[in-house]
Amino acid sequence: MENSTLTPEQSLLLISKTIEETKKRFKENGHLFIFWGGLILVVIGSQYMLEFFQLHKVFDIAWTSILFPLGGIYTYIYVKKKVKKMNMPVTVIGNNLKHITWIIGMNLMIMGFLFSDKLGDANGPVFIILFSIMILVSGLSIKFKPMTVGGILVNLIGLLCFILHPMYYGYSIMLAAIVGFIIPGILLNIANKKENV
Amino acid sequence: MFKDLDPILHSQLRLSIVSILMSVEETNFSYLKEETNATSGNLSIQIKKLQDAGYIKVKKSFKDNYPNTSVSITKIGIEAFEKYVNNLKHYIHPK
Repeated sequence: MENSTLTPEQSLLLISKTIEETKKRFKENGHLFIFWGGLILVVIGSQYMLEFFQLHKVFDIAWTSILFPLGGIYTYIYVKKKVKKMNMPVTVIGNNLKHITWIIGMNLMIMGFLFSDKLGDANGPVFIILFSIMILVSGLSIKFKPMTVGGILVNLIGLLCFILHPMYYGYSIMLAAIVGFIIPGILLNIANKKENV
Repeated sequence: MFKDLDPILHSQLRLSIVSILMSVEETNFSYLKEETNATSGNLSIQIKKLQDAGYIKVKKSFKDNYPNTSVSITKIGIEAFEKYVNNLKHYIHPK
């Protein structure tokens, strides 16, 4: 790039073009949303399977306490590699999303492992509502409507759980994973691909 | 000719640097080089000019054993950029 002076019109054009290009570069992709949606489906779905085969008491806690932390480790490594590979700058939105994801994620883990007995029947709804906050904030931050709508639907599923029998909580969480993580994740990938064509 | 326009910002490369820094919280030298397609020497000179004017903050450190220069915009820089854009609007749409 030359270091020449510009006309006012050229200056405005340069500013808007540069800001637009920078925004495009650090657009989120849907990979982690699809990954977490899939992981939730596998964990909850397999719990129903374990219960069906009456192996629930033997494997349940070990299964959950292995897969979710492994998911957390994978997410950490994936984000770190992506930032390094793409030489991504630090952005306000990126930072906020990172913080809210870790705060809610850690709370979900702590509640799940230490206080699930105290939460009792409220376990399912509380988990789903926390998920919905994470999805809703992400959707609003990156201004992606399908994710915002997914977040609202997951929030409604969470509230609906309070009037459902606890035996349906697992199914509700799986539905929330599909509506809030997997579908918006796939749509986000499609939208990004279209933009890059 | 454009006497109200800040001469520090009214140059293609410096304006690009500040525009990028307006959209991100912090970035590094290689990112700016990639985005602006400028040579390292020219970029360093323009960064120094912006730093001397107090518009940007430059922090030199080591990341994975490699030198890393991180750059971010200052409050003075944000104000100058906003003033510059407002002045541009007056030139394009004079009342």
